[in-house]
This record gives sequence, C-alpha cells and structure tokens, in this order.
Amino acid sequence: MKKIVKGMMITALAATVLAGCGNNANSTNNEGGSTGGGEAKSVKLKMFIAQPRFKEQYDKYIAAFVAKEKADKNIDVSVQLEMPTSDNAAQILKTRLASNDAPDIFALHATNEIPSYYKAGYLEDLSDQPFVGKLLDSVKPAVTTNDGKVVAVPLETISWGYLYNKKIFTEQGITPPTTLTEMKAVTEKLKANKITPFVLSYKEAWIPQLLLPLAAGALIETGNKDFVERMNKDEGSFTEMKSMFDIFDLINANGTDKATEVGGDDGAAAFAAGKGAMWLQGPWYAETILKNDPNMDFGVAPLPINDNPDATLINMGASTSLAVSKTTKNKEVALDFINYVLDDTASNDFFQSLKFNPISNIHTYDSYPWVNDAMVYIKEGKAYQEPKIPQSVKDEVGKGLQAYYAGQLSQDDVLKALDKAWQSYNKVNK
Amino acid sequence: MPTKSYKKYISLFTFVAPAFILYAVFLLIPTISGMVYSFTDWNGLNRNYDFIGFGNFVEALTEDPDFVGSLLFTLKYVVFMVVLQNVFALLLAVFIESRRKTKGFFRTIFFMPNMISTIISAFMWTFVFAQVLPQLAEKTALTFLDQAWIGDPKVSFFSILTVSLWNGVGYMMIIYLAGLQGVPQSLKEAARIDGANAFQTFRNVTLPMITHAITICFFLTLNGAFKVFEVVYGLTGGGPGRSTQVITMNIYEEAFSNNFRYGYASAKSVILFIIILIFTFIQIQVMKRREVEA
Repeated sequence: MKKIVKGMMITALAATVLAGCGNNANSTNNEGGSTGGGEAKSVKLKMFIAQPRFKEQYDKYIAAFVAKEKADKNIDVSVQLEMPTSDNAAQILKTRLASNDAPDIFALHATNEIPSYYKAGYLEDLSDQPFVGKLLDSVKPAVTTNDGKVVAVPLETISWGYLYNKKIFTEQGITPPTTLTEMKAVTEKLKANKITPFVLSYKEAWIPQLLLPLAAGALIETGNKDFVERMNKDEGSFTEMKSMFDIFDLINANGTDKATEVGGDDGAAAFAAGKGAMWLQGPWYAETILKNDPNMDFGVAPLPINDNPDATLINMGASTSLAVSKTTKNKEVALDFINYVLDDTASNDFFQSLKFNPISNIHTYDSYPWVNDAMVYIKEGKAYQEPKIPQSVKDEVGKGLQAYYAGQLSQDDVLKALDKAWQSYNKVNK
Repeated sequence: MPTKSYKKYISLFTFVAPAFILYAVFLLIPTISGMVYSFTDWNGLNRNYDFIGFGNFVEALTEDPDFVGSLLFTLKYVVFMVVLQNVFALLLAVFIESRRKTKGFFRTIFFMPNMISTIISAFMWTFVFAQVLPQLAEKTALTFLDQAWIGDPKVSFFSILTVSLWNGVGYMMIIYLAGLQGVPQSLKEAARIDGANAFQTFRNVTLPMITHAITICFFLTLNGAFKVFEVVYGLTGGGPGRSTQVITMNIYEEAFSNNFRYGYASAKSVILFIIILIFTFIQIQVMKRREVEA
C-alpha cells in the first residue's frame, strides 16, 4: 500500500513539475509591462526577426536603441531577440500568435504575409507614426493595406528583373534589350557566337514562378490596371496574361538543358561560370554568385515581355518588414523602436551594414552596382509595384510552369490552374 | 475481494502513467484535435473558424484532382515498394545466411545505408543523378546514363524507388535474418532426408517458419511507403509540376503553402490515416492466419 501511495505521489509530483514549467514561462513573460518602478521604468521587449545571418547588425542596433531609450525617456529596455531560420519562422510566429504569446515586434513578408495577418487582426495600425513620412513613395505601397493603412516598416526591398553577365554583353557589343524582338535578336547573336543565352534553373518551383510577377506586373502596369481587383472578385481570368508565354518560350528555347534538375545554387554557379549570358533571377542571389566568382560583373535589367518598350519594367517589392503586435503591452517602446529603424542619424549605417536597398531619403550610402542599375530604371519611372498576387497563386504558377517546361501541361492548362487557384483563394479568404 | 482488483488497476495506472501522460500530451491530444480541425475551415491563423461538417472530405475526394493524383501516385509507389523491398531484403538475408565467414561483413555493408538519414541520402543521390551519372556517360560510352534522372517524370519514379530501396532494404534484411536464424535446423535436415532440394526446403519449410517476420516486414513497408516524404522531397520536390507528388507532400503543401488551409489539410491527413488503417488491418488479418509455430 505504501508503495502505491509513493508511486502516486511521484506521478503527481512529475505532473506538477511539468505544469510548473509552463507557469514559470508565463509569469516571466508578463513581468515586462506591469512592473513599473518609481525612477527607471523597465520594459522587456520581445522581438521576432527571422534573419539569423544578420544577428550581429541587429544586436548592435538594438543596443544603440536601448541606450537611446534610457537617455531620452529613462526606460530600461531589455530586448529578447528571437531569430529562427526563415524556413520555419512563419510556423513559429503563427503558433505564438495563436497561443496569445505574440512578440511585441515581429518581422513578416510585406507582399505575401501582411494581407492575411492584417485581416486576422494581429497588426497594429502605424499610419500616424513619424517614420511613414520618411519612406520613399516607391516603397510605401508595399506596406500599405488595401484600406490604406500602413502596418509595417519595410527593411528589405528588392528591385529586380533578370540578371545578365555584363562581361559577355560588352564583349558581344550588346545592351539589355527593351522589346521582345530585340531580345530575339540578342539571343540569335549570342547563339551565333556559341554562347548559351539563358541559364535555366527550374528544379525549385519558385524560380519559374518569378515569371508571373514580372510578366503580369508589366501587363497590369501597361493597360490592365484592374486585373488584380477583378481577379479578387472572380471576374478576371489569366487568359488575359497569356502573352507571358511568349518570353517564357523564348527563354526555354535558348537555355541550358536539364533545367528541371538545376536548383537555385547550381544555377548561380552556372551563371557565375558564364554558362549562360542571362538568368531569370533576382539580385538576392548576388551573394551566392559572388561566392562562386568574386569578380563576376553582372547587372539587373527589366525583362521585355512584348514589343511595347514601355512594358519593359523593373519589379519593385518589399519583403522583410517589421510590424507591431496589436496585443503588445509595451506599445510605447515598440513604437519607439519602429520609428528608430528610420532614425535620422543611426538608420543610414544600419541599412548599409545590412546591405539592404535604401528605402528612405535619409539613406545616402552607396549601394551595389546591381542596385544602382535598377535604381536608374526606377528613377526613369520604368518600374512598377509588385502586384498583389496571392501566395497560393504564385505557388501554383511555379508548379504549372515546371510542368509546362516538362511538356506535361499546355499553356491553357496552366492558365486554367491559375484561375482555379485564385478562385479557391477567394473562396477561402472571403 | 473487490478491493484487490481495484488495487491492481491503481498499480497498473501508476506504472503506465509517466509514459501515457507524455504519449497523450504529445501524440494523442494533437491527433484528436487534428481530427477535430478536419471538420473546420481553419486557416492556421484566424481566431475564428466554422465547423463545416464533411465539406473538406467531399472536396478532397471529388474536386481536388491534385490530391487524387498524388493518392494514385502513392499507391503505385506502395505496390512497387512493398514487393521490391521485401523481395530484395529476403534475397539478401538468404544470401548472407548462406555465408559462413563473411556474414558480419555483408550484414554491416547492406545495413549501412539505413544508418544515413533519409533526407541526407536523398541529397546524396541528387548529386549522383544530376552530376555523377551524366559525367560517367560522358567519360565512358554508356550513353543511356545521360538522362534527366530526376527531372523527367517518367524516369524520376524509378530514381525515387532506387533511393528508397537503397535506404530501406537493410532494415528489413535484419528482420528477415533474425527470422531465418530462428528456423530450427532439425526441420531443414528432416526435409533434406525426405529428399527435398534446396528450393523445396526454402519454399515449404523456411518460408512458413518465417511468416511472422514477413508479417512484420510487410506491415513496416506498407506503412512506411504510404507515409513516404523525405525521399521525394529531397530528390524531386514533387516536381516537375506535381508529377511525382506523394500524398504527404500534397498535405504539406495544402497546410504550409498555398492557402494555408489547415482544416482541409487535416481532413486529407485523416483520409490518409483511414487508408493506412484499412490496408494494414487487412494485411495483418490475412498474414496472421498463415503464421505457424515450430
């Protein structure tokens, strides 16, 4: 009998210990906001930024922010920075939000994630914050919701089209073409000189997917302005975008072979080795390319999709952006930090050290050549905002174009699948 | 005494409790809540969701050609895997059992691929298929090696099979080896005295005696083949397009990309669970009946 009682007690003890773990975690979390001391208020700020490769830069910037809060407002801020890898960041963040354990400040993808997070009511409205006035006009729409509220401060922005090997282009005496016909001439010339015009890398579905934002973005910008809205109302169809296959066919017909076996990194290696003069890819692969060949000279150019030179445009989009949780208990400090991201004095160095593109007129540092390439087009007005195509449609187009390349689907099949994907997106998000 | 049986249950419970509590918290409760979610339209983010009855199940089986396609592809994979994996494993086991001195060596060699994690072996083989084989074809005259091993949907199925077998046969082989070693020598000798040749001995003595090993191996391969994920993920990513997409991948895609339809993906998981349940149930029922004791 004694033994049984003992056993029961051990079990009970184990259970309380387990439960105790949970309680402890909760109590430490709540501590931050409520304990306001007499002289120096102390605040614990939780941040969630899925960019572990920039830990050093963020740590440094946060330390500067902590010092500033202490000096300006006499608040002792301790920051708990969480940096998961980007692969599972969205999962962790969603779990946190769903379990009412939201970080005060978290990073999310501007075009892909802001709409659904905003709709679920997790994002604080930041429209009246001072940083909004400092954003470049070209960047602002990316963090603005459909009903006109700014809900995040962008960190990482990208301007992209396709990459081209500047060395090959100079040797052949060619410049980035501005129309589809010119593009054909360029590929012919390259082929005549035994240079493969395009590197193809379609193993990962997101790479062929890039064609859609480029082609659809340009077509929307030049005459089909309400495409996205009509698609959202189930009134449009991707048959309007059929001409995107013109450039896709041209690229595929003049590319390296076995494209469905080449992933992004292999593609970067092939491009750096000069196995193709152009690559349908964005400058986010710059680091990988330079790792393969530090002296590689490449540029960013807009992809021509038809014979209208005005439709040959650079795509501008924002990715990593910082948002404030609606349920934060430390709103004041969180907002201070969000504004500090675009601080007049500190921000310039911060963005430069992160190697991000300038997003505000307070950013005056020199960027990389490929960023400057794109900036030239943007200043000429040859750019458009990345269209707000739902992520599920982008996933679908990647798979569709892979299958199209492998000869399993026809153009109409792909377009039909895209229509269906958008319709089911509408159905799910009504 | 009635208190006696009551006490028995208490001691049973105390012994089982630690494991059972962990099992319940981390496996049982999530499984059940997953089943509950399968009747909702939850998207993994919204705080509110509605119960929609069997809507998800109906949609998965009637309006989702990708799901049905992946289901058929998985079935094809299961058939090939269950047959080939067991045949190869049994052949290897018999071969190794017939060795005397080199038994340990061969056992280690054939089991080794199993010690490498599946996803890593998939990446290794990606390199072999994409780089080594084409190079080999170039250097030698074996031009048939120069294929799109993982890029061409017709060929990639067999590439996936190759890697799965390479990785999985070793484990089944060990189980068969144990089974073979349990066959009493006396029975085999008796058969030989009765004039049976080697094949007849194997067919009529050894096989019936290792039916329990066959049951286990069939169960494991059937179960594992339905749940295949890493190999396909590492080799082709389900591509090109969705031509090599297996059912687990379809579920993963539904839940974690696309429209984040957790509820719908849970419904698909429940369907997979039911399919596996039915198949393994039938398989075990059928094979249990054939088992014999020495």
